[in-house]
Parts: sequence; structure tokens; C-alpha cells
Amino acid sequence: MIEVKNVSKKYGKFYAVRDISFTIKEGEIVGFLGRNGAGKSTTMNMITGFIEPSEGTIIVNGYDVDRKPKKVKEQIGYMPEGTPLYYDLTVKEFVSYMAELKLIPRKERKAAVAKAIEETGLEKVQNKLTKNLSRGYKQRVSMAGAIVGDPKILILDEPTVGLDPKQVIEIRELIKSFRKNHTVILSSHILSEVSQICEKVIIIDKGEVVAVDTPNNLEKEAVGDKEILRLTVEDENDKFETIKESISNIKEIKFVRTNDDKSKEYVIETNSDEDIRKVMFSKCAELGVVILEMKKDTASLEDAFIKIVEDRPEYSEKEIEKQEYEKELEGLRQELTEKKEEKEFRKQAKKEEKARKKAQKEERKASKEASKEENKEGGDK
Amino acid sequence: MLAILKKEFKSYLLSPIGYIFVGLFILMFSIFFMVTKFNYSVLNFEYLFYNGATILTFITPVLTMRMFSEERKNGTEQLILTSPRSITSVVLGKFFAAALIMLITEALTFMYFGILKYFGDPSIMVALSTLGGFFLLALAYISFGMFASSLTENQIIACVLTIGVFIAMWFLPNLVPALAPFSLINMFDKFPSGVISITEVITYITFTILCVLLTIIVLQRRKSVK
Repeated sequence: MIEVKNVSKKYGKFYAVRDISFTIKEGEIVGFLGRNGAGKSTTMNMITGFIEPSEGTIIVNGYDVDRKPKKVKEQIGYMPEGTPLYYDLTVKEFVSYMAELKLIPRKERKAAVAKAIEETGLEKVQNKLTKNLSRGYKQRVSMAGAIVGDPKILILDEPTVGLDPKQVIEIRELIKSFRKNHTVILSSHILSEVSQICEKVIIIDKGEVVAVDTPNNLEKEAVGDKEILRLTVEDENDKFETIKESISNIKEIKFVRTNDDKSKEYVIETNSDEDIRKVMFSKCAELGVVILEMKKDTASLEDAFIKIVEDRPEYSEKEIEKQEYEKELEGLRQELTEKKEEKEFRKQAKKEEKARKKAQKEERKASKEASKEENKEGGDK
Repeated sequence: MLAILKKEFKSYLLSPIGYIFVGLFILMFSIFFMVTKFNYSVLNFEYLFYNGATILTFITPVLTMRMFSEERKNGTEQLILTSPRSITSVVLGKFFAAALIMLITEALTFMYFGILKYFGDPSIMVALSTLGGFFLLALAYISFGMFASSLTENQIIACVLTIGVFIAMWFLPNLVPALAPFSLINMFDKFPSGVISITEVITYITFTILCVLLTIIVLQRRKSVK
């Protein structure tokens, strides 16, 4: 549905987005994750055709954004960051205007506007001026503008930013309802939100795509093959830490703190993904340690994000320039080698052609001589 | 284009801008009418438009300064430029909406022709040639104002730039005679005499087309440098 191939956006020497590539399939809800200024909005703006990439190509439903922008734009409903609206228009007028901008035929326009208003729950405020609405409703109006005419692709830039928790839940439910008929791309830096809504996550950092996977896989990768248990115990005889000797799977026991009620908190790392809670329970009973709380710790998308982003090496501008230069140099070298190989190939082909022609000539000469001799012999006879 | 034209025209009427423009123009035009007719007893309708051109020089930015700078500042530019509408249709829609407001303003000035007709015998043909020339001057002014608005997201800068260039066009030919062909307001002088000069008409139309094209280029270019 959407193919982004080696796309970069450069401002002078600064790369807002550098050599990113990813594919989004039809019907997927994809989340763009990244810190502020990571390049999420720039990428979205390039997909919508609002800005042009400096390098690379973007194909939306078979159409190149650069060559067929109108075809691409017809298939996209875009909700920009900050919910820009025309404040002198009512909700209905705004959605109608968006429908007109999207070239929805006059006959279908009324029904399309009514549908968008209904889907976003704006019926009650449809005759109010957009400037008089609450932030949550403004967000909905912006979303109605994006979904009017049922575009195949919805691009939502920070759809829940600045909303109160109730409004956030409402907007999330609304986005989830789009799953049936649309491919949705949304950007956010609220990780739990992306984790709840999206089937696939694209993590962008400093203008580069650093991970593309499902939230589950990213979470699994964050913890690796170890398992973590959090325990709160009553351990008057300080015997808990000796448990490591009796359970072989325990890799490390870390003491966290002593609580006001003198209970102690520990974090236990195990070597494999084997569940040791049962063994732990019986061993603690044997040692006279009372377990007050035992919880298996699972990694969140937040852990995955932090791990992925913080594990990345920090490069200075000079180093980046050096890498660029080396990349360019490598490209030139490759080009040169290819040219050399081509030249040699041509030389070889020329040589072979020459040899072939020579052999043909000699063959012809020989056959000529042979026929001459035959004629001569015939004459003599 | 029609969708943009309709929306823009509605915006002029829903916001105070359209009324401020029409009101200011008619108010100042009326003052000039009163002064010239009652104090100097001049009964020419067309001569009023010499003053009209002066008023237009200073109030055109009221109509044009927000055209693109406001959209850019509020982010609504994203809504237009990510829609399947072409940049050309967006620019023309906005231009013709402003031209329509100008046409209404000009139509209102025709009431003074009626008043003068009651007292004397002003020529309708000269009046129409004057109105035509004045409309062409207004289109040229609007197109430049729109171009200035596409350059910045600050409406004040767009306004100052527009008035600054109009004043420069007005007075620079006095200092540098070679610049006379670029003075839009001085070119208008022939129309109230009943002369429809092809040179002036073509200059106004060319200048308008040039500014519209420049606006399209600016918006197109911003896609790659934004």
C-alpha cells in the first residue's frame, strides 16, 4: 500500500530524515514512534505530498507521490499536528469544505459529510463555529475533515496530544474503529497509546528508522531471553538471598529496598523463560520467608523504545560527515570497478569477435581454395 | 477553484475584513466626492478615480495580506496543499475572491454617477472606461498583494511590503524617469480621460499574470525547501 524507499529530507547540511525505507500493508494500523524532532512529521508530510523528499521515492497504492501527486492525495486523509481549522466556519461548513477540496462529487458530498460527522460524534455541535469548541471536539473536527469521503489511507499526526484522559480514550476508540476500512498511520510519543492501537510500530530516531516490528516483538526483544520477578518478602533471618543456591535458574538477586513495615523488596533475574514462581514459593516456605507479593515483570513498549533509542551510538556532526564521505567514496569505487569490469568485458568480447571473424575468414579462404582445387582437378580430368 | 473562491469570498463576508475594505474605500471616496463636488463644483465622475487609485494604494493590503500568510501561520495551508486541488486552482480561487470584493466595491461607487447624472450630464462611456481601467489597476494591486502574502507568514510584513512597493512604484519614476513604465498608478491617468490605451491594458494584465505565476512558483518551491 505504502512503500517508502531510501527517502531523505535535507535542509542544507542537516538531515531531517535520512535514508529511510519501510512498507505499510493495506489495512494495517501503524504507529510512528520517536522523540520530538525525530522526523515523524517530516515523514508523514512527505507521504502526503506536502513536502518533497530530497532523495528517494514514495509509492502510495502504486502511484509515485512525486509524479502523480493528485492520485496520491485523492487516497489520503490527513490530520495535521495541532489541528489547524478555519475558525470562521461551523463544523458542518468545515467538513463540507474539506469534502469539496477532496473533489467529492456534489451528489455524494452531502451524504459523505453527514457520515463523517456521525462517525466522529459531532452531530450535536455541527452548527457551532469551530473556534467555540473544546480541544477534544476540535480534534474530532480535524479527524472528520480527514475521513470525509472515506479515503483509503488515514494519516494522523499526534491525534491525542493535549487532550484530557477521557478525550484520549474516545479518540483512541475512534481510531480503532477505522481499522476495518482504512490503512492508518499515526504518530505519537505516547508509547502506551501506540502499543494499544497499532499492529506495527516504526521507531524513528534522529531521522533514521531504527526498528520496524509489532509492539509484542519489540517488547520481547527489550527483555531478551531473561525473565524478571519482583518480590516483596518478610525475611527476619536474612535467608532470602541463599535461595539462589537452591534454584539453579536464578541468575541474579538484586536487593531494592526495605519498606516501612520492614518487608524487603527484591528483583530476581532468571536465565531462561522458565516460570520459577512455583519453585520460589515452596523454597521460600522451606526457608521461613513469607512472600507478601510476587510479580512477573513484563517489558513494555517504553522499555523497548528506550533500549532501542539509547543503544544507538551518538555521532558528532564531523563523524556523520565522515561516514557520508566514506559512503560516497565507496559508491564511487564501486562505480569505477563496475566500469572497469564492463570495459574488460567489452575488450574480451571484441577479442572474441575478432578471433571469430578471423576463423570465419580462414574457413572461407580454405573452402575457396578447396573449391578452386576441385575445379582444377575437374578441369584436368 | 470554485470551492476555494466560494470559501474565500464567504470568509471576506464573515470576517470584518471585507467590510473594512469596502467601508474604508467608500468612506474615503465619499469624502473626496464631497470635497471635489461641493467645494470645487466639479461634476466629473471619472476624476474621482484619481483619488480612488490613491486610496487603493493604501488599502489593498487589507484584502490581500492574510491570503496565504494566515493559512501558513495557522497551519491550514497543510489542509489545502495536501488536498488533490492544484496549487494553481488554490491561487486563482483566492485571487478571484478578492477580485469579486473589488468588483462589489466598484459597483458601489457607481451610485455617485447616479447623483452626478441628476445634476449634470456625465458621460457613461468615459465612466465605464474609467471603471474598467480602475478594475485592471485593482487586479494588478491584488495580485502583487497576494504574492507578498505568499512570501511570509507575518501579515504585517506582507502589508508593509505591499504598500512599500506600491509607493515606490508611484514615486520612483519622479527620481528615475526610466522607471516610469513600472508605475502602475501613473498609468491609470489615461483612463479617466476616456482613453483606453492598449499599452496600459496589456501592462496591467501582464503584471497581474506575472504576480499570479510568481505566487504559484513560491508555493510550489516551498514544497521542496519547507
